[in-house]
Amino acid sequence: MSAKANGLGRWYVIAAPYLWLLIFFLIPFFIVFKLSLSDVATAIPPYIPTFSWSEGIGKFISQLDFENYTFIFGDPLYVNAYLSSLKIAAISTVLTLLVAYPMAYGMARAPRAWQPTLMMLVILPFWTSFLIRIYAWIAILKPEGFLTMFLMKLGIISEPLQIMNTTTAVYIGIVYSYLPFMILPLYASLEKINPALLEAAQDLGSRPWRAFWQITFPLSLPGVFAGCLLVFIPAVGEFVIPDLLGGSDTLMIGKTLWNEFFNNRDWPLASAVAVILLLVLTIPIVLFQRQQQNERESGR
Amino acid sequence: MNKNFSWFNLTSITLGFAFLYIPILLLVIFSFNESKLVTVWAGFSTKWYSSLLENQALKDAAWVTIRVGLVSATVSTVLGTLAAITLVRMGRFPGRTLFSGMIFAPLVMPEVIIGLSLLLLFVAMGFDRGFWTITLAHITFTMCYAAVVVQARLQDFDKSVEEAAMDLGATPVNTFFQVTLPIIAPSVISAWLLSFTLSLDDLVISSFATGPGATTLPMKIYSQVRLGVTPEINAISTILIGIVTIGLLLAAYVTKRQTERSERERRKAFGATG
Amino acid sequence: MGVVTARDQQATNASSQRAGPRTAAPQSGFAPWKNPSLPPIVRFEGITKRFDDFVAVNDVTLDIYEKEFFALLGPSGCGKSTLLRMLAGFERPTQGKTIVAGQDISDLPPYQRPVNMMFQSYALFPHMTVEGNIGFGLRQEGMPKNLIAERVDEAMGMLELRQFAKRKPNQLSGGQQQRVALARAIAKKPRIVLLDEPLGALDKKLRQQAQFELMRIQETTGTTFIIVTHDQEEAMTVASRIAVMEKGVLVQVATPGDIYENPKTRYIAGFIGDVNIFEGTVSAIGDGCIEINAKDGYQFKTRSSEPVAVGQQVCLALRPEKIRIAHEQPASAVNAIPGKVEDIGYLGSISHYHVRTAPGERVTALRANAAHTVERPISWEDGVWLDWPVDAGVVLTG
Repeated sequence: MSAKANGLGRWYVIAAPYLWLLIFFLIPFFIVFKLSLSDVATAIPPYIPTFSWSEGIGKFISQLDFENYTFIFGDPLYVNAYLSSLKIAAISTVLTLLVAYPMAYGMARAPRAWQPTLMMLVILPFWTSFLIRIYAWIAILKPEGFLTMFLMKLGIISEPLQIMNTTTAVYIGIVYSYLPFMILPLYASLEKINPALLEAAQDLGSRPWRAFWQITFPLSLPGVFAGCLLVFIPAVGEFVIPDLLGGSDTLMIGKTLWNEFFNNRDWPLASAVAVILLLVLTIPIVLFQRQQQNERESGR
Repeated sequence: MNKNFSWFNLTSITLGFAFLYIPILLLVIFSFNESKLVTVWAGFSTKWYSSLLENQALKDAAWVTIRVGLVSATVSTVLGTLAAITLVRMGRFPGRTLFSGMIFAPLVMPEVIIGLSLLLLFVAMGFDRGFWTITLAHITFTMCYAAVVVQARLQDFDKSVEEAAMDLGATPVNTFFQVTLPIIAPSVISAWLLSFTLSLDDLVISSFATGPGATTLPMKIYSQVRLGVTPEINAISTILIGIVTIGLLLAAYVTKRQTERSERERRKAFGATG
Repeated sequence: MGVVTARDQQATNASSQRAGPRTAAPQSGFAPWKNPSLPPIVRFEGITKRFDDFVAVNDVTLDIYEKEFFALLGPSGCGKSTLLRMLAGFERPTQGKTIVAGQDISDLPPYQRPVNMMFQSYALFPHMTVEGNIGFGLRQEGMPKNLIAERVDEAMGMLELRQFAKRKPNQLSGGQQQRVALARAIAKKPRIVLLDEPLGALDKKLRQQAQFELMRIQETTGTTFIIVTHDQEEAMTVASRIAVMEKGVLVQVATPGDIYENPKTRYIAGFIGDVNIFEGTVSAIGDGCIEINAKDGYQFKTRSSEPVAVGQQVCLALRPEKIRIAHEQPASAVNAIPGKVEDIGYLGSISHYHVRTAPGERVTALRANAAHTVERPISWEDGVWLDWPVDAGVVLTG
């Protein structure tokens, strides 16, 4: 490695981002975990015990317990919220894939000259505000919204659609907001495929449809995998979409956490919810990191 | 793989982009609606834009958001660039796996978790919550995006160019400023723009990290959206979308002109002599 | 491309002045490695480099002398580039010392070493002009501007680059880029210039011109050049001495002529030029010659510089051009074997004859296609005799 020769300077470069992330990303998780073992209180900050040197660490630790966890696992509301989040995230991921794959495939096969523009068109919504894009859907999905008006004009329906404030609206919202995250890795892996491979497959007697399933699809799997993780993981903890588009029956854990924290001001319980959510997401996050790592190593 | 661009391909692209853009278009169009109803067209008007200008709370929120964005994007670009160099050029060092984990995890980590954990840190450290805590929080999550953007460029470019500089007597610091930075500059600029936009956009993390007195634009929009759809929100959204779109198109145009120019020079160079 | 023609002319001139003698008998007077009192300019002392459990360079000790054009030759992955990069300072040896001009530089970073390198990829700075690239090293020294301009101009003049001074690297052809990279490496007037596969990206014709240009520059500047290459012809053409490496180990260090005529191992014999190998055991030793019982039943008589013992396993290596091929059995040949022509490779001035011997071995012989040959031409399926004198082959024990 080129920089290895200059010992000290190298450590300065590493240390700045490393320390920053340790302090502002890693350590906070330990605080969350500690707080999840505390009790709620009407105080500032709204929890006990708070650590003080005078009382010593022994007393402090003795006051911590797993009460919040037993509460969460004892209450079907929370358990259902976790399960329903996973279910909604999984279904939305599959839906996003189904929408994104034909698009990415079309982009990869589009004339070379179009491709930068198409890429730009996919990236553009990603740069515009998430909140605004969800907001845009409210006007479309609400009972007197654009979709109802459009379909009634066509005579397809006679009653207003009841999509707003349902889980369906949440699916639409997730697919819409996360679509670029799915298209980009898919496109990247499809675009890399050497056209000669398909020519070779057809030359050897494979019909286009079979060639797709035997050559193109398997080679695009890394993109599928990356895209699915990029959609699934954040979708599990999504808050804005279920809050604005979902109904009272749409259980999602991100919303539960938000409510515990902001409405009930139960910080310890919110922390426990966060810890369990993190544990649930550990496996997909580790998979995601592996994938990124491989991508980078192979990119060398 | 651009062979046989078929009707199926064209249709899926068209429908896909219609899905992506129609909601935004409707939102923009109805920001110019005369009526207070956002779904029924009643004639062209810019009155919602002028009413925005009179909304002091909104203007304050916009100002806070821009300041947070400028500071956090700048710091996060510096840290993100250092992180990218660490990932790509530093080889192995103790704790490398943890480091790359901390870079990639925030990209997918649910925002509620990041927000909650940062808030608890600020409380534990006894920070006064407000402008600076939002900024710190934004630096933390945007620097990971910045790192990924710069890292992609660093990986592409031939390491021997840096080696050549050192071989010719440039110290590592000089090598960075005279060779590496000019070459990766476009990616550093896009890292800054991305960080700035993400900061401008963020609702969840800001809501946790803020305290009394500091309200960002997304927080303001969110609290109004909860009360219902209004043309005023459409107007402010249109302005935000407009800024981002113009910025991106400008960036794309500049890059395109640059590549075209260098291509022209190239052709001229070879045409003249060969 | 029109650009190169003027320069081509010069390169060809340079070549005609000095081609020939180099390979056959390296510059008569220049042989500093034979002078024990002369200190080497570069000394590798027991250099070992390990990457995890892979040993890239294994205990290499090597002296290189001032004004040499020294080639490190071997297949890819043999450790030659790693050795060069350790001299430049990009890799640290796991063990051993690097000494340049009597000073141990093992711990110096690349930017403090008195060597400059020309990279395989050229590694030109894409955002700087040709001038900017060539002057980069001088600017690092804080040299006054007018002096830098002078030195840059000198280097550009030497490599016919003046007309491209204001161009960026991406506006140059491959050959021009290669010359900029060389100009940049010599602009600081280092005592040693390192070249890592410097001509690998050029096509064959350009490559030959560039080889002669390298030799011209090396001679006019009087600099020590160390080149890494996997191309044996290139090494033979440019180098005063060649070090052949295999799997991280130095196998032989000698002049090109020596390496060709007296390869130390079977590997080198095969790596440099074509060769026929006969395996066998030593059956008798006497009067400066030895007799070998070849595996396939023949008996050969040959001279041997290697000390051998009766019964020892050896190989006899024979260059194709040293084997005579004829229709009739030679009257008084020491070593002669019959066979049948299987293949003829016609290369214009010469032809290769691939002959299958009775025991089934394939032997290649080479013959010049002189127009006035009175003999009947040799063709496919002809029965022929191959013969060679006692001093034609080399006995290999390794």
